[in-house]
Amino acid sequence: MNLGTVFLAVFRREWTMIKRYMVNSISSLMSVYLIFILIFMGFKSMSNYVMAGSLEGSLEGTVVGFFVWTFTIYAFSDLSWSLISEAQAGTLEQLYLAPCGFKWVGACTVLANLVFSLVPIMVLLFAMMATTGKWMNLDFVSLVPLLIITLLGAYGFGFALGGLALVFKRIQALFQIMQFVFVGFLIVPIRVAWAKFLPLAMGNSLIYTVMVDGARLWELPLNDILIAIAVGAAYLAVGIVIFSRCENVAKSRGLLGHY
Amino acid sequence: MGKTIALKVEALTKTFRDGGRKLVRAVDNATFHVEEGEVVGLLGPNGAGKTTTIKCALGLMGPDSGRITVFGEDVQSGYPGILRKMSAVLEGSRNLYWRLTVWENILFFSALHGVASSEDKAYFNHLLNLFSLEKKRNVEVRKLSQGMKQKTSVVCALARRTPLVFLDEPTLGLDVETSLELRTLLKQLALEEDRAFVVSSHDMDVIQDVCGRVIIMSQGRVVVDDRVSSLIDLFRTKAYRIALRGSVPPGLEERLRQEFAGASVAEIDSGTEVRVTLSEDDDIYRLMDILRDADAVIDEISHEEIDMEKVYLEVVRKERELL
Ligand SMILES: Nc1ncnc2c1ncn2[C@@H]1O[C@H](COP(=O)(O)OP(=O)(O)OP(=O)(O)O)[C@@H](O)[C@H]1O
Ligand SMILES: [Mg+2]
Repeated sequence: MNLGTVFLAVFRREWTMIKRYMVNSISSLMSVYLIFILIFMGFKSMSNYVMAGSLEGSLEGTVVGFFVWTFTIYAFSDLSWSLISEAQAGTLEQLYLAPCGFKWVGACTVLANLVFSLVPIMVLLFAMMATTGKWMNLDFVSLVPLLIITLLGAYGFGFALGGLALVFKRIQALFQIMQFVFVGFLIVPIRVAWAKFLPLAMGNSLIYTVMVDGARLWELPLNDILIAIAVGAAYLAVGIVIFSRCENVAKSRGLLGHY
Repeated sequence: MGKTIALKVEALTKTFRDGGRKLVRAVDNATFHVEEGEVVGLLGPNGAGKTTTIKCALGLMGPDSGRITVFGEDVQSGYPGILRKMSAVLEGSRNLYWRLTVWENILFFSALHGVASSEDKAYFNHLLNLFSLEKKRNVEVRKLSQGMKQKTSVVCALARRTPLVFLDEPTLGLDVETSLELRTLLKQLALEEDRAFVVSSHDMDVIQDVCGRVIIMSQGRVVVDDRVSSLIDLFRTKAYRIALRGSVPPGLEERLRQEFAGASVAEIDSGTEVRVTLSEDDDIYRLMDILRDADAVIDEISHEEIDMEKVYLEVVRKERELL
């Protein structure tokens, strides 16, 4: 099957949607920024002691954590929301008629969303750095691979929740809870032994090392990178398995077209 | 001579759990086939299993048992590549992105089928012209009227240039003129492009006009599978209109109804009119006996004008009786 054609089509669809929903996209970015301002002001009014829960309790840690959180939430929610909204709108069944299989249409959607979320997220990062006055090391050669590794886990959750939404429909609440759970993954200090196996946590810590300590990708401990990849891939695999199971249930109960 | 079989459904069965423990047999051991270049109507009352059958064929639902092949290839083992041969307008659901324009929708959905060459685009334009949508080409779908949306869905399905097309309620919400247009187009496309169409509709005028053959489902089972023309001939010889002299003989209607379900007796200007559909060959004698017992004077006996709607209603009524 000609995946290139499919990818181009999905890419163009996403781009057109973004243009049509520009006001929406900008206002959601603004609200994320506002949340950050609130956290930042809260941070300033509290001593570092109180904030010890966050990565080393530093302001940099908060900025990096918030950055990674936004990035992963974007990825996670793009995936599950687009499944939910396509099922609601009724276009999901048409996507399931694609001869390359729905999984590839989904994968192309994920990829296109990733590309299109880079710009707003970078804008957000700059806004946060300007607000805090903490200008960090933006070594993209090191950052991009680490971000992608960190995203794997988030996509795993996206697939799993999207699949559950196909079968159980009303799971919006679970969806919102997940956003807070993600915060948890990011603020658990990586020194805690089992924290390494949480999604996002290891990647987040590596990104911190790059952005704050100025380390290059190849200067990072190989072991840590491998753990981050393995953990991310494992969560992604589990997410995809859950999605496939749910897809089968949805097909046997005839739920793809209902919402 | 034998034409290629586009769709073959063999002993298809699909059940659903009805909320609690109860099983609903949506499709029950259904068997039929559709040939290349054929337009086949899929009829049946609400809940007969039409949509379920279509969705099983498209791989959107997993059947409990049975086998579906499309151009000789098994749908389950050939999934999802087999979808290259099929497209569909699905009932009720929105088949389009409301935020995209007509043209963007066509481009997107046909690209999913790998249909995106410049020759293909010329074909899309041809379709837009056929469906008189060329002026709406760059309008967002949400701003179109219901009928235009429906036509755009049909265009999107046709644009994928698949040899088998399912249209579940394609004329829903179309005005008379547009519905007529769509019928003409479907006939034309089936003839010119040798595609196979499965059209589900409750509009018998559409079915009679467009379909060469109909499959009538009831309670998940295929109860009729025949050419429209032979069905009409068959029912023409069974449906009678009898003119009686004078006013309605008392008790005649009740008496007739006991024997022939759906029979009617009505007073008309020139006397009394009896309409009755017989099912067995010797029913005509029983009918005559009843009329004689009622002391009716027969003025005229004629075959009733029959159309697909009457055939359909008769079939459905009989099915109900069997329950
Ligand atoms: N997803 C589902 N879950 C449970 N039951 C279903 C589901 N889809 C269909 N059914 C049941 O299966 C039966 C057949 O439904 P189907 O939609 O195939 O009928 P239909 O012939 O298309 O009817 P209509 O003319 O109303 O479109 C009905 O009894 C319906 O309630
Ligand atoms: Mg239906």
